[in-house]
Amino acid sequence: MFFIPGPVIAALTFPGVIVHEAGHLFFCRLFKLKVFDVCFFRFGNPAGYVIHQEITDFTAQFFVSMGPFFANTLLCVLFCTAAFLPVWELKVFDPLAYFFYWLGLSIGMHAFPSTTDLSHLWASAPALAKKGNLLAIVSLPLAALLVVLNYARVVWADLGYGIAVGILGPLAIFRALA
Amino acid sequence: MSESICTHCGKSFSIRSLYDLNGAAYCASCVQDASRQAKERGQPSAYIPLINKSICARCNTYIGSAPDAVQIGPLRFCATCGPLIKDWDYPQWLKFSLAALVLLLVVALAHGRKYFHAGREMYVGERLVAKRQYTQALPHLQETLRIAPNSDKAVLLTAKAALLSGDVDAADKALQAHSGGHFEDANNADFKEVESLWNRATGALTKAEQAAKLEEEEGKETEAARLMHEAAAAYPELPGLATAAEYYDSGAAFARKDYDTFVAITRKQWNEHPSAAMAAALASSLACKFAVTGDASYRQQSEEMLAKAQQLAQGDAQALKNLEEYLPRIRYRLDTRQIITRKEYDRRFRSPETSKKSQEK
Repeated sequence: MFFIPGPVIAALTFPGVIVHEAGHLFFCRLFKLKVFDVCFFRFGNPAGYVIHQEITDFTAQFFVSMGPFFANTLLCVLFCTAAFLPVWELKVFDPLAYFFYWLGLSIGMHAFPSTTDLSHLWASAPALAKKGNLLAIVSLPLAALLVVLNYARVVWADLGYGIAVGILGPLAIFRALA
Repeated sequence: MSESICTHCGKSFSIRSLYDLNGAAYCASCVQDASRQAKERGQPSAYIPLINKSICARCNTYIGSAPDAVQIGPLRFCATCGPLIKDWDYPQWLKFSLAALVLLLVVALAHGRKYFHAGREMYVGERLVAKRQYTQALPHLQETLRIAPNSDKAVLLTAKAALLSGDVDAADKALQAHSGGHFEDANNADFKEVESLWNRATGALTKAEQAAKLEEEEGKETEAARLMHEAAAAYPELPGLATAAEYYDSGAAFARKDYDTFVAITRKQWNEHPSAAMAAALASSLACKFAVTGDASYRQQSEEMLAKAQQLAQGDAQALKNLEEYLPRIRYRLDTRQIITRKEYDRRFRSPETSKKSQEK
């Protein structure tokens, strides 16, 4: 396993960081949460952040934490779908397609919610799940998986996720449509 | 100074343990009931530690009861942070960037349209190949190659479909257009399958060529037919080889003077593939039967087939040329009841010496 400093990775995939933080901000505003500070991109750890008031409502907590995960994943699938065929299947050298694939991968790579986001979700979900809250029930396995994947970032799980989504997503779409 | 009274129970508590709900202080025991009641009344139900009201919720600066502190919902902010929190908006550059991202997505999808078409054709072709519908798969895969001639997958699928539907030329064209037939991964299972099919097909065609050369030589008709049968067995996907093998069988039957077999084969071929060449072949075999039996019905049938051959050859230069060579020999057989080989016929009537004598006459 080779080591590439985080800021270098973040710089190479900066669109994903911006989209991720924009997603947090969007859901904060959607649920009328007070935002204290936002950094869309920086050369540091974390590469971006949104600091907002404490959330007491679980639905808001879920969407603020997981919203960027879904948004980044969706955008990754869309951009990679546009570029998947020339890059992987048809082997056409099309610089524009490679650009779109990079964009898709960059966005997909930054889909994972931070450990802090997940810990808030993880803390409040079990009690609500016991009461039959559907969102809490859904979020439990998802949060558990994402916690594991978050720790696996040291072995490029985030890049792996981006590639998997960027390949399997379009492949599933095209197979279904053909 | 550090104590205050719970609005609900009236007891005194440390400020650190009290909560603020809609401007009133509550102890930890009462705040939840108060929050629920506020909710039932349609009032804000969120509460925060009272101590938080003394510090800016954003920068943690002590604000106490400063008059310029800004109250936003249940939170208090210093004069610096207050306006920022109130008006926190998407930055202009972010709005432009997100608009550009959406635009890029539209461009990406529009740009990918031709690839979607090529990909769809490839997947349809792949599915047809999996169903062994090779002839139907070929046009779909060729459409993919029009856009992506270097796609390993598309080229190998096309070559496979072409070879398994007997179209060696189409396979050759697809393979040659892919870096002159060069593939990076020679251990790929698909590549190996196509390589094996290609070797089988080209091996069969080589044998067929050898058979064709032998067939030109007198006395080698049986060997030519055997080789052509081997070619047809090796590559049954090309039906032309089986037809040629049958045709060569008729040549071999002629060589061993088995005219009944000669007639049977040529009649079968004429029925299956009616063409000028097949009509002429049947006319030839019937002429042989007439020559050996003297039965006029064979002559009549032969004449009819000759007429059909001429009729079918109209407008086909190659067919007309072939008949020009073939017809006089059949006519000679019918006129003289003599069965001679082409070589002998040529020696007698088409050699330069004969031509010279004819000209002198």
